[in-house]
Amino acid sequence: MSWISRFVALIGSVAAAATFAAANCAPARADAPLTAVYQGQSIRFSHIGSKDGAPAIGVNDPGFAALLHVTDSVLTWKPGERYVLITTSVPTVVSFAVGDRRYDIGPIVLQAAFAPYQRGNEVFLPFNEVLRGLDLALREDGAVKVLQPQLGTLDVRASRDRVTLLAHGGAPLHPRVVSQTSSAVTYAFDGVGTALAGTRQINAGGVRSVQIATSGTVRAPVTTVTVALQPGASARPPQNNGARDVALAINGAKASPQSIAEESPTPEPEPSGTENPGNAPIPNATPANQSAVVTGVTSQPSGAGATVTIAVNGNASYAWHRLRDPDNRFWVDIRNAQLQGPPVDQAAPSPIVSMRARQIDESTVRVALTLGQPSAVVVTPSANGLQIEVGNEEVSDDAARSGTGTIGTVVSSGEQNPALVTPAPANNGQYDSGTSGDTGWKFGPRSSYVPTNPRLIVIDPGHGGSDSGSEHGGLKEADLTLDMAKRLRDILVARGWQVKLTRETDVDVYAPNDSAHDELQARVDVANKAGARLFVSVHVNAFMNSGPYGTTCYISKPEDVPLARMLEAHLAQDGTKDDGVIKSHLYVTYHTRMPAVLVESAFLTNPSDYALLASAAWRQKIAEEIADGIDQYTRAYPASNAAAQ
Amino acid sequence: MRLPRFPLLVALLVIVAAAYWYFQSQRAPSGETMAVYYTKLDGTSLASVRVSVRPRASGESAAEHLHNQVLYAAVEAVTGPPNDIKAIRFPPGTHVNGVTLDGSTATVDLSKEVDNQAGGSFGESGEFKALVYTVTGIAGVDAVRVTVDGTRLETLPGGHLELDQPLRRADW
Repeated sequence: MSWISRFVALIGSVAAAATFAAANCAPARADAPLTAVYQGQSIRFSHIGSKDGAPAIGVNDPGFAALLHVTDSVLTWKPGERYVLITTSVPTVVSFAVGDRRYDIGPIVLQAAFAPYQRGNEVFLPFNEVLRGLDLALREDGAVKVLQPQLGTLDVRASRDRVTLLAHGGAPLHPRVVSQTSSAVTYAFDGVGTALAGTRQINAGGVRSVQIATSGTVRAPVTTVTVALQPGASARPPQNNGARDVALAINGAKASPQSIAEESPTPEPEPSGTENPGNAPIPNATPANQSAVVTGVTSQPSGAGATVTIAVNGNASYAWHRLRDPDNRFWVDIRNAQLQGPPVDQAAPSPIVSMRARQIDESTVRVALTLGQPSAVVVTPSANGLQIEVGNEEVSDDAARSGTGTIGTVVSSGEQNPALVTPAPANNGQYDSGTSGDTGWKFGPRSSYVPTNPRLIVIDPGHGGSDSGSEHGGLKEADLTLDMAKRLRDILVARGWQVKLTRETDVDVYAPNDSAHDELQARVDVANKAGARLFVSVHVNAFMNSGPYGTTCYISKPEDVPLARMLEAHLAQDGTKDDGVIKSHLYVTYHTRMPAVLVESAFLTNPSDYALLASAAWRQKIAEEIADGIDQYTRAYPASNAAAQ
Repeated sequence: MRLPRFPLLVALLVIVAAAYWYFQSQRAPSGETMAVYYTKLDGTSLASVRVSVRPRASGESAAEHLHNQVLYAAVEAVTGPPNDIKAIRFPPGTHVNGVTLDGSTATVDLSKEVDNQAGGSFGESGEFKALVYTVTGIAGVDAVRVTVDGTRLETLPGGHLELDQPLRRADW
């Protein structure tokens, strides 16, 4: 036997032995309970096992439940189920599956020391990997085991003029600045260890590098983050609000002091047309017949660059533009087209940074690319769509910055003149409760509904009685909506309308302490039984934080669209932001037979909107604008035509 | 002529190591991915982050795999994107108790914390839009029924959204 044969045989023997060992050694077994200290609190884990020398934790263990509780995490698992999911406070989903060594922390796929296994009705998970998902690490302090919070992630978000370091820890973070000079700033995180120690070169946004180090003891670790600054850069004081997430912000030399505090999305270029928020834009007019459909937008690496494929079904024209370096954005507008499905907003292969696709108006789909460099871009149309090739070489200064063309079988752009049509309402005029597609009705503004009382308008003051709606700063939604509804009633009556309010005082419409369903149905019944011409529900919006503000008209049915559009047109002058018309599955607009709109007048949770809502003059203005919108609608869609609609 | 054994052995080991590295680097990183949608703070626009989907395991039936995917999708959607992304989020503490499948309709059972809405149509509409878009992104699922702690309901308490019928993408 030659030495090569002997070597191969040796390798084979070792491999076979290793395979056998992996398959048979270290079977799962039960171990003694384990007690560990987390943030000064002792937690006893009794459902402990081990496999391949690594610890396992049973999902039914009371100590495990306590650990999840103190880390604001939630377990999703039922006996017999293969998947074990833990939602952490990041929030991130940590995913395990019985029999699979793979585990996921959000989008990151990792390999555990062993696959989760089942013993009886309980699944045992690899404990160290569970702790990693919770940004903890099991450390020993003499004879005592400690669950040491970790600085689990430090994401660097760099742009041209600033850097934001997003830190997340396994316990609330309290960063403090321990030293600051013109060339470096050092933050310390007390009580937090890390496995991220090392130096990362950034060289962008005012930051040269970030160095992470850890010191201290097992029970009192300290992690320091030292940011080496470029000339002229400055660090902002860190937040210290006791959250597990902290943003450390660095301004580059050219950034204004306040710029760091602003949002950092890349604004989409708007060379023409208007922004239409939302992925289901409600058109002002009926659309062109036989619109092309953008059925998909995908990206993939190709050669040294990347290719974006826009699949288009039908005939359309397109126009592309690009901005000059350093603003390396490219976009193509596909006209006479509808985007199928939700907007796209995702990362794309280098040299593309991100890719977005959305419907920017009733007949234009925009696909926008943010490029990491001034790359050459080649746009190639075909019968089935467009291919955009982004090369790795830089575009020359004299290269074209815009272009046009056609997709499909049209002769040339600009020659399409499809007739404007009003599609028939779905299901012969009766609104189909959602089983039909959603592409036709949005453009069918006319209603087949015939009011038995065409002079009657039903106004619904939202909430009331046992349900006061949202409350903030001493103001109650139910009071505000009733006030606005009464003002609206008075205006409409003065203009010759009959008006019925679903409630005239602070009461439940159906019965005290009734269910939300009974209450909402009672309001719908008022309008449906009366055969009212229109239904307008007046509400006040709210959110978990004070950010969102503005006026929104919510609708559910095709015939709601033109009324909502006309209300929106008048409400756009109300002093807060126009958030447009949004389709949703709201009970009262969905179940009323007549055109109906739910007006969310402003956000009680936003300071500036709150000030408006608190003003009687503003509430009067809102009432007048809704009345003006109703007047415009009823002039445009006179009741005498109702039977023909 | 006999060649010296040691340098050849080293060369062979280097070749084996290089081949191992090459084949490892050629492996697909994680296979299929799934879009987890979230609703932006304009109240209606959707964006998504992608997460990796676990492939069907041996011994996992097609029905069980679909169930597991729906569970994962629902948990991801209710969890929402990382905190630094501005999005309409379910009320704090809301989580998925479990999912069931009946034909192409998935029932997602949420915890009672979902009742703690801020008020207004904004949150409710955006939360459920993201959930429905995410779950119906799985082939074979086109509608989502919502229950709370195992109870069917027609609307959330003090709510606005109709939950009596399974929700579909066409509802937004």
